Amino acid sequence: MPASLFEHVLVPVASPEDAAATIRATRPYLEAIRSNVTVINVVEKAGGAPDKASVEQREDYAEEMFNVARSQMEGSDITLTTEVRYGTDVAETIIETAHEIGASAIVFTPRDGSRWVRLLTGDVALSLVSDSDLPVITLPDHD
Amino acid sequence: MTDQELARDLGFLEAYTIGLGTMIGAGIFVLPSIAAEQAGPASMISFFAGGLVSLLAAISLSELATGMPKAGGSYYYVNRALGPFFGSIVGWGMWAGLTFASAFYMIGFGQYLLPGLGQYIGFLAGWGEIGITVAALVMAALLTGIMAALLTGVNYYGVKETGALQNVIVLTLVGLIVAFLGLGALSGPTIGTFLPPEGWPAVAATIGTVYVTFIGFEVIATSAEEIKNPSRNLPLAMIAAVVTPTLMYVGVMFVSTGTLSIEALARSRIPVADVATEIMGPIGALAMIVGAVLATVSSANASILSAARVNFAMGRDKILINWLNEVHDRFRTPYRAISATGIITLVLIAIGVGIGTLAEVASFMYLVTYALVHIAVIVLRRADPEAYDPSFRIPSVLYPIVPILGFVACIAILLQMSFIVQAIGGVIVIFGILWYFVYARDRALSQSLLGEAIAPEPTAVADGRGQYRVVVPVANPETEQDLLRMAAASAHAHESEVAEVIAVNIIEVPQQTSLAQDITFEEARVERQQELLESARDFADALDVGLRTRAIVGRNAGSAILDVIEEEDADHVLLGWKGTRSRREHVLGSTIDPVIGHAPCDATLVKLGPEGGAEVGEIMVLAGEGPHAPVAARRATEFAKAAREDTSLTLLNVQQPGENEDGASPQKQGRAIIENLVETAGIEGMQYDSRVEIAEDIERTILTAASEYDTICVGATRSGAVSQALFGSLPETIGEQSDRTVVMARGPEESAMSVRDAIVQRLES
Repeated sequence: MPASLFEHVLVPVASPEDAAATIRATRPYLEAIRSNVTVINVVEKAGGAPDKASVEQREDYAEEMFNVARSQMEGSDITLTTEVRYGTDVAETIIETAHEIGASAIVFTPRDGSRWVRLLTGDVALSLVSDSDLPVITLPDHD
Repeated sequence: MTDQELARDLGFLEAYTIGLGTMIGAGIFVLPSIAAEQAGPASMISFFAGGLVSLLAAISLSELATGMPKAGGSYYYVNRALGPFFGSIVGWGMWAGLTFASAFYMIGFGQYLLPGLGQYIGFLAGWGEIGITVAALVMAALLTGIMAALLTGVNYYGVKETGALQNVIVLTLVGLIVAFLGLGALSGPTIGTFLPPEGWPAVAATIGTVYVTFIGFEVIATSAEEIKNPSRNLPLAMIAAVVTPTLMYVGVMFVSTGTLSIEALARSRIPVADVATEIMGPIGALAMIVGAVLATVSSANASILSAARVNFAMGRDKILINWLNEVHDRFRTPYRAISATGIITLVLIAIGVGIGTLAEVASFMYLVTYALVHIAVIVLRRADPEAYDPSFRIPSVLYPIVPILGFVACIAILLQMSFIVQAIGGVIVIFGILWYFVYARDRALSQSLLGEAIAPEPTAVADGRGQYRVVVPVANPETEQDLLRMAAASAHAHESEVAEVIAVNIIEVPQQTSLAQDITFEEARVERQQELLESARDFADALDVGLRTRAIVGRNAGSAILDVIEEEDADHVLLGWKGTRSRREHVLGSTIDPVIGHAPCDATLVKLGPEGGAEVGEIMVLAGEGPHAPVAARRATEFAKAAREDTSLTLLNVQQPGENEDGASPQKQGRAIIENLVETAGIEGMQYDSRVEIAEDIERTILTAASEYDTICVGATRSGAVSQALFGSLPETIGEQSDRTVVMARGPEESAMSVRDAIVQRLES
């Protein structure tokens, strides 16, 4: 049942650009079966060491991403739910959230970048794909 | 606030380690040499006194941090309590203090790396003075680069592991210092003469020098939003994070001055390692050097990150351009703020300010900050704004002794410091003041609560003594008539004989030109102003209301309008709004922000619908539970009363589905809220319809319902001088998205009294 994969998708976003790209790519699938979509941003916590930026600043940044996501969904009657989550391990937090909200799949578009950039920024995509016990869907970004 | 609960992941131990990690930094490894030179063994007293001063600050900060758990720490509290003038001083002061401290740490790093490790690794030796500077520069640059792009290892291994690494470093340092103290005590240190070589004033001056080692505990306050059970854990962690290092510092000074001669210590660049050679042999010294290298790097890391947070908090309050606070989309770090701090740190290292002076300037800025923090506690206690409800309060036996004593102590140390430091510190403070006047004054969202604190009693809400006056700034001939009509409606409701409307138009003149000069050249603009105000008088005749006009030439429309409100003792200000939010610099607009944010009277913002000129028609009031919903309801009734026959008044409440804990249906809850609102607003005499909608998405439902009416009235959803939004996101979204006439209303209690008014009131009472 391929359609059911999109029944309630969890879309993790990392930046406003990422939010735009992912929602743009996901929208046709969502509209096809009137699915539910939850957009989350994980605020990374250092768990003892000083955080790289204040929580509040990153919450503001998350709000910026959600606004972009909402505007990408404009004119559609699909309800978009947004949520900020906190965790020391981004991929793990995404997967936990997916279970909590009963998501049918986790959807993201890969962000380009060389091996070096990925090494520097951490490869959440890789951890998601390898650690998730829920379906993970990677959509190409056409824009 | 479930979001905040989720973000709380630090217990006492984590908070304590964070504090300790920043406290046990470069200071303890570098300062013994400087302190011994200045005050000999008596510098132990300096360290102890520094600890006491910090303890007082920690107690005051605990109350503020639990009352306002926001990023920015001391800056935020001072800005909220004392207003943007002091906010600007403290913001820049903290930022400069952290930058000087970072440079101090990095030079300490250079000293331990080259002359220190040089004893063991030949290649590092013999670089001399230049080498230290170069090493400090290179490390500072590397650190900044790494932080702006965030630690490679951190992202590779994940933050969880980095947190663990940080704890290992802190534990290692504590272990090293404890071993140093233990072995040092066993080796039988002998203090020759305790009397300071340069007399007791030198001991007092040394407090200023060593105070830099105590600025670290502030990070606990800045993490307040992340601490579990903050009423207990936050003050405990702060006090523990001050007491532990104080004892260690005093101990290290005891062992150091007891083991080496003052001259040897003063000459040493790596005092702790040299002492360790005496008591533990070369292995001990090497361990201390490695410890010092770790400590300096982690201190500098923490202080550069803290500086970026101060920048963020200042940007949020519009005291600083937000450009600096851009988050990197890949690294998710505020890379510009970090780079700016890093660059200034590099400059400070490069120009060779001298390690002692760097430390003292950092101390100076923090002492200024903490002096103001103590005042902030007293001001907040006296003003007692609604949103200030700290979960930890200074116990009554200690209040107000702690803040008063703390303030006096900070000032006393400041006065003892050397002239050059006072001069540099003074320049930074003056920079903060100039910044306030040139940039921040017209933009800042916050306001001082000083007046509230001085006033004899909580301020009475403007009671409309004498005439009821409505001020209406007009600028656009197309909307002028409608705004005047609405203002007249509001005035009418208050015994029309004594009510009046004041129409104001402001010609803004750029900073460079003189007011008079510009006006002569711009006759066209003056003529337009006259026309505008003349037509206002025409409209007023038709509206049957007293009208006065005021033509003003000024630098800034916002502050000119605020001046008019004050001079006229206005009860209500009504402004028009185009309906578009501006992105970064302003919330709703450059003129609207200051007026709505600071007006000491009822404030109303009107976005006119497409048919502008028509009657108000069918009016809908959003009957929420917000603090200003009654004001919105009152505005709506004023409009309805003044309108002709074909008008109606509806009170709308939207509830989410599901029963509440009392088992009341959402329908019932909604009705109760509406009835309650009618009562609070005192509009029982009006005819109105109640309407309750039940839906998940409240905002969308409101927007859909809005399209059925002609005029929507909504009250500000946020209040309290501690928060800084203008109306709140829901009213602003409705204003932006609905194509009807939208009236956003706010009551007066949001503004704080000015110091002058408060003193006048005090004298009169």
